[in-house]
Amino acid sequence: MMSIILHECKKALTSPILIGLLVVFSAFNLFVIISSSDHKAELKIINEIIETYGLKITDDSLDEFNSNVQLDVAELNRMTASEFTSVYEFLDGLSFENQEKYSDEQWEFIHRLQLKEMYLNMAKSIDESYEGIDIRKLAAGEIEKYGLSGKAAETFLNENEKFFERFKEMVSNGEHKQWFFAGKAYYMHTFLFKTIFLQIIIESLLLIILTTALITTYEFENKTHLVAYSTKRGRKLMKNKLLSALAIAAVIVVFLFAITLGTFFTVFDYSHVWQTSISSAFNWEYNFPYIAWWDLSVGTFLIGVIALVFVVLLLFSGLTFALSVTVKNSYITFFLVAALFVLLWLLPSFMPKSANLLFVSAYTLPTLLLAVSSSFMGSSGLILFENFEWMTVSCWTVITIVVCYMSYKRFIKIDIS
Amino acid sequence: MRILLNEVKKIFTWKTMLLLLFINSLVYFLLIEFYIEYFPNGSGIYSYNIGLEKYGVTMDDDEFIDFKKVYDEIVDEATRYMQSREEFVAAGLDTYELFQAYDWGNPSQEASALRDDVFFGKKTELFWDLQERERLIEFYNFRKSIPEVLTDNQRDRLNELIAEEKFGVYTEIVIRNFKSYITNVGIAILFSVVLVISPTILRDRSRGLLQLQYTSKKGRNLFKTKLLAGYTATFIIITGLLTVYLGLYSLNNTSMFFKVRINTFIANESWYDPTFFQFIMLCVAAIYLIGFIFVTLSMSFSNVVPNMVSLIGIQIPFVVGFLIFGLNRLLPNMILIWIPKWLTPFSYGGMVIVCIIFIYYLIKREKKIDILT
Repeated sequence: MMSIILHECKKALTSPILIGLLVVFSAFNLFVIISSSDHKAELKIINEIIETYGLKITDDSLDEFNSNVQLDVAELNRMTASEFTSVYEFLDGLSFENQEKYSDEQWEFIHRLQLKEMYLNMAKSIDESYEGIDIRKLAAGEIEKYGLSGKAAETFLNENEKFFERFKEMVSNGEHKQWFFAGKAYYMHTFLFKTIFLQIIIESLLLIILTTALITTYEFENKTHLVAYSTKRGRKLMKNKLLSALAIAAVIVVFLFAITLGTFFTVFDYSHVWQTSISSAFNWEYNFPYIAWWDLSVGTFLIGVIALVFVVLLLFSGLTFALSVTVKNSYITFFLVAALFVLLWLLPSFMPKSANLLFVSAYTLPTLLLAVSSSFMGSSGLILFENFEWMTVSCWTVITIVVCYMSYKRFIKIDIS
Repeated sequence: MRILLNEVKKIFTWKTMLLLLFINSLVYFLLIEFYIEYFPNGSGIYSYNIGLEKYGVTMDDDEFIDFKKVYDEIVDEATRYMQSREEFVAAGLDTYELFQAYDWGNPSQEASALRDDVFFGKKTELFWDLQERERLIEFYNFRKSIPEVLTDNQRDRLNELIAEEKFGVYTEIVIRNFKSYITNVGIAILFSVVLVISPTILRDRSRGLLQLQYTSKKGRNLFKTKLLAGYTATFIIITGLLTVYLGLYSLNNTSMFFKVRINTFIANESWYDPTFFQFIMLCVAAIYLIGFIFVTLSMSFSNVVPNMVSLIGIQIPFVVGFLIFGLNRLLPNMILIWIPKWLTPFSYGGMVIVCIIFIYYLIKREKKIDILT
């Protein structure tokens, strides 16, 4: 039994092209990370801030930070022999010739001061910006933007009301008053959870669909089916094929995650921000900050998203298995799965904008995967629902098990000659 | 000839046709529909063919003066309209000049209500029209300025265009829409031909048909027929899909722009100066070329890889790499001044030469290869 699974795995693992693809994909991921790492040194300032003033932003720590920055500004004034109140004033008035007046060390000091002031100013304005957020008004805007009406608008408003409660709770907890990389300056959340994760997801999907289809249809495409399925093990071999496809899928995902995220966290130093809440006010990149339904730290969020992606990718392996047992042709299977992926993703756009069906049709695996950067968030447009992630995953687990079972049952009896 | 026909028939099985239809409709909804449904889109919605009907395909200084005269008349009309409404006079906005000069950064409540009213409520077309005309005048005023960071070739070309009085005077909405459209059509067609043609040669091989085929009278020359059948099928697919997609494009009603030189579209300075219609034909030719190049690649892989999964796997880096790095440069922007002049001919030339070498090598290899393994 075990050795059958291993031999089935070998069919995929010894394919030079699949190994080659895995290498090409990993290299591409590393290339993307390294080529967008210009600001990795700048990010380190947040570690110093957290070390000196603590993770949470309190009035006291902010005062302390403020007075230290003032000391630095005074130092700057000594250096330049003038009276600036902020480093930005100095930089604005700086002429091209004057730039050379300062040594590299002095410039480093100035840049660091500039970063500190940026963080200080952002921290000071947190209360003001959060008071400016009107969740109800934003919801009205969303409804207009998507053209919702009737029941759909009602559901959306109800969920939004719940989110409003959560928002108030979050503000009173002070989850947003924690240090994190400045979102509007570096877009680290988007870079990690959108750019990098989507790369991993799409690459893993391609490899998983290919390997699953390869293993499942191997006997038919190599004309060994008449022998293989008339042995003692017989058509039960399909079960082993499913297990080995899942095992290979897991290996692929783990490998891609390990090599990509390993590089990512070596290049970018996250060591001090793991405990920061993902709903931090600094994690505010576009019109609206990221606000999670629960009090999640960056570390928990990362683990949660990885687990989510892992499970969903295994489900895709299962779905591909069910399809290729039915189709018995790896080529067609690949394109059908790709097409189904897109079809499921587009599903909400074919739905009426007035019924709850619109939201139901968004509870699909492609939507979940492609919007993974806003998982567990209440600030994610039409998929803001609190139960979105676990409902989608559990429903689709059931669906996958059912279709795998059905296609297996059918396969047991069909004429395979 | 009969064999060729039968080989082509083998490519067009009903299963592949169904898959082709399915994939194309998905790509259509995913990438293409938007550019038909929402055109013209944005602020140019009322007047994307401003000026064209009156002044023809070019605009000289006299015509520009006339254009400005018309603009002034419309401004007068707007002013008369504003003066006829008491709210405007009360808000201190009784001429269009005052309306324009108003500090919209922090407007009073009445002013912003009035602005919403003219743009989104009554009198909509008039004010949108003025905005579009202002934009065109602005571009016309800047027609002789040259950006600073340029290579020598680019600067020469821009100076040449200015000397020939070919300025961007017509709205870029039309050309930009077409470029996005044709790029996505290119993606759809690339997927389609690769999808259909890839498995053909491998299919015969993995079914063990070669032993029969190569011992017949026609023998190993059949391989050439198969390649030819692949190209014929590619031609049929591309032609069919292009007919459909260009037919859909005609819904955008841009035929009045067909005679406009593409350098007279705003921000579209190019190395050559075909008309819009000729540019469309150029893109069509490029799509055929891309199709044939990738089909050659597919058939080459199809002849060497061991199974279907490897066939897909090996093509992913090539197709995706081309979509990321090549497609925009080689299809919609192929003659744009911001792409080096030599890039397009060299890339296409290089790819065609590589394809010829592949085909030559494959045919030679097929003559001697051991088909029993």
